Amino acid sequence: MLRRQNLLIVGLVAAIGCAGWLTARAAGEFQPDFPATAWMTAGLLVVLLVVALAFTVGLAQTRSEAQRLITARTLQLERARKAEKENSERLAVLLEDLTTAKRLSEEDHAEKKQLLGAITSILIGLDARGAVTKWNRVAAANFGIKEADVLGQPVEECGVSWDIGELQAALEECRDSGNPVKRQLTFTEVNGDEGTVGITINAVTTDDNEVSGFLILGANITQRLRADQDRLALEMQLRQAQKLESIGRLAAGIAHEINTPTQFVGDNIRFLSDAFDDVFEVIRRHTELLEAAAENKVTPEIIEAAREAADKADIEFLSEDVPQAISQSIDGTKRIAGIVAAMKAFSHPGGNQREVVDINQAIENTVTVASNEWKYVADVKLELDDTVPMVPCHPQEFNQVVLNLVVNAAHAIGDTEVVTEGGKGTITVSSKAVDDMLEVRIADTGSGIPLDVRDKIFDPFFTTKEVGRGTGQGLAIAHAAIVEKHGGSLDFESELGEGTVFIIRIPLEVSQDAQERTAA
Amino acid sequence: MMRVVFVDDEENILSGLKRMLRVKRREWDMAFAQSADAALEMMAVEPFHVIVSDMRMPGKDGVALLTEVMEKYPDTIRIALSGHADMEMILESVRATHQYLAKPCDAETLIATIDGARKLQDMLRNEKLKKLVSRMDRLPSLPSLYLEVMSEIREGGSLAKIGKIIAKDVAMTAKVLQLVNSAYFGLRRHIESPAQAATLLGLDVIRSLVLSTKVFSNFEQKNPALDLQALWSHSSKVGSLAKEIAIAEEASGKVRDNALMAGMLHGVGKLVLGAGLPEEYRKVAEVMKEKGLTEAEAEREVLGSNQAEVGAYLLGMWGLPNPIVEAVAYHQRPGAAGGDRFSVLTAVHAADAIVRANGAGDVPPDVDMEYLARLGLESRVAQWTTLWQELNTRKEVA
Repeated sequence: MLRRQNLLIVGLVAAIGCAGWLTARAAGEFQPDFPATAWMTAGLLVVLLVVALAFTVGLAQTRSEAQRLITARTLQLERARKAEKENSERLAVLLEDLTTAKRLSEEDHAEKKQLLGAITSILIGLDARGAVTKWNRVAAANFGIKEADVLGQPVEECGVSWDIGELQAALEECRDSGNPVKRQLTFTEVNGDEGTVGITINAVTTDDNEVSGFLILGANITQRLRADQDRLALEMQLRQAQKLESIGRLAAGIAHEINTPTQFVGDNIRFLSDAFDDVFEVIRRHTELLEAAAENKVTPEIIEAAREAADKADIEFLSEDVPQAISQSIDGTKRIAGIVAAMKAFSHPGGNQREVVDINQAIENTVTVASNEWKYVADVKLELDDTVPMVPCHPQEFNQVVLNLVVNAAHAIGDTEVVTEGGKGTITVSSKAVDDMLEVRIADTGSGIPLDVRDKIFDPFFTTKEVGRGTGQGLAIAHAAIVEKHGGSLDFESELGEGTVFIIRIPLEVSQDAQERTAA
Repeated sequence: MMRVVFVDDEENILSGLKRMLRVKRREWDMAFAQSADAALEMMAVEPFHVIVSDMRMPGKDGVALLTEVMEKYPDTIRIALSGHADMEMILESVRATHQYLAKPCDAETLIATIDGARKLQDMLRNEKLKKLVSRMDRLPSLPSLYLEVMSEIREGGSLAKIGKIIAKDVAMTAKVLQLVNSAYFGLRRHIESPAQAATLLGLDVIRSLVLSTKVFSNFEQKNPALDLQALWSHSSKVGSLAKEIAIAEEASGKVRDNALMAGMLHGVGKLVLGAGLPEEYRKVAEVMKEKGLTEAEAEREVLGSNQAEVGAYLLGMWGLPNPIVEAVAYHQRPGAAGGDRFSVLTAVHAADAIVRANGAGDVPPDVDMEYLARLGLESRVAQWTTLWQELNTRKEVA
């Protein structure tokens, strides 16, 4: 840099020198009078020199100024360049950030869109005034109304046939409480059938807790309701089937219990009828003999005929068997009357109210009614405490439970070795009052309930019996009847190889609300 | 004297029976047992002709008892007398019992059933045959029909269709009629068609009969001499023609149905013999050829009886209606049966003879003209033969 400035100065001096020389030469050529011309030339030269000197000094000054300026400028530029570079770098990052942000936001949007699209629920967005802001595909499909047709419309005017009053009330409730509100609304499905939609209304709030809109999430629950109804109907049917099954079994058993005495009562009467024919013949012959004797006309023939009649009738046999036939027939008819009475008491069609029942009598009836179920495999021991007070209960349900448990006990015993080898087990039914509860225990000498099924025995449809022997409803229904209908409990204690005890507990007195609850 | 043992766990029943049946004390030698084991002990001392047992008893029950009797004393006639109406017990006892009586059973029915069984036993004098038939708890069915009925049942087919298939098979028809006529089903009248029987029994019962109780059996071709297909074809022809004859003679609906059934079942004895005594069965065929005898003659020579008697014996023991049993028993020699009016027997006899002759000639050689003359029906044979020809043409057209 310095060298260039020096060269510049040398250059300038040379140039001025040249200019002076040229001036002097021009003057010398132009002015032949040397001294004047020489002076002028010399003066000029001096001036020129001075000028050149001044120039040089100025130049040097300018040069250093310029130098300073340049340096400053360079610095400035340098700074600016640096800033610019930083800026552009920052910009690039910013740009990059922006791009990413854009991409992310697009992805986010797509994701949201996808998420929304994937929602199988009806999704309806409303603004604070109740105008539709969102109306998803599912809503469109279920109501048969397109999004485009309802966006911006007040929700009550969007053409869905649900109860608008109820919907508005629900929206109000949600706005006021700020809590989600659930409703089931009926509407007309696209195919014209009546459908049901279950909705949850959520309030959308701003930061300062202003309700800025609503989000309605819903589902078409028509099918589910129908399925629920079907299931309920099925359950009812199964209960009914179980009842019918036990009635059927019972009827068959009772038929047997009645058929047996009917058979021997009939046989005895038939015998008595034959016997009486013979006896009347004996009486006739003997009357003839008496008459002949009175008239003193007895012949050996008459005596022989009387004797023959008596022989034929086998009076000796008859005198022994006739009284037996009569007493057995009386027993038989008593048995028939007994089972019919027990059946009548057992099937007593109670209403929905509890009745005060003589539990011991009820147990005895039930055991009698079920006798055909147990009598081939077990003896029944009744240990009924006659100080047990009358108990308020639903007699039909209670009887059904005792019946189920007695029949189960008989089945449990029937499967044991004792029975297959021709012996019998024991079913013990006891009743007593424990504190404020009635406790009925039905104990069998069966093989006990296997450990792995103990927690399942009250489950509906659970059965270990072979197909056709049980629906698996008996214990489930018994449990429901005792726990739900009577506010009691049904438990069991079981020991493998020893037997099982089922314990029914029901309150001796019924609280008012329990009374109301079960009546409801 | 016929020896009869009654088994019941209820003492009152036994003493009631003892008193009621006192009138038979000079004809029957009666014993009374209060348990299955007691009955078996008595039988071990001296076998009985008839056993009448309760079904539900503590310890060994009626099914177990009668099954044991079937194995140990096959010629004893086994009758159930039960107050039980439950299907389970009935199905269990199907194979072990010849006849079922329901409590309360009146004196007449009980006496008639026991006496009837006795008469049947008199009919079949060959002890070996008697044992064979009494032990027969099921008969061989035509394999194709057996499979057809099985698949129809497995697929839950209609009762009407199942009834039709059963009606085509001799063995299945016999078994279903036995069942449905048992007193367990509480029917006051006899049922004469398998279709009717199937409807009455219901799909559930038929299903358990076929699948679990296995009262029908697939015929394994152990005896090549027994042509089941030929028997089936002949039986169904005789059945159809016997019914047509009954219609032509303006017989009652009951006689028509019985004629169809008896015609269908008239060869059931062949099934018994073919399946139970294959050796003898073959010998009958040999004797027929060697000595130029009729089938009946050859059977009598070899077996001392004939397939008609064997079949009738089985059906009688199974409690099928009397007209059917009679028609099966005497279809080869109707003159021996007595009776002077057109009956199921007349229809089956004539139909069998006509089908055998295959409609050739006005009077087929096997027709017993003497018997028909007694009935005043000898002039009708030509008409009946025409019926056969019509039936055949109808079939061909169809």
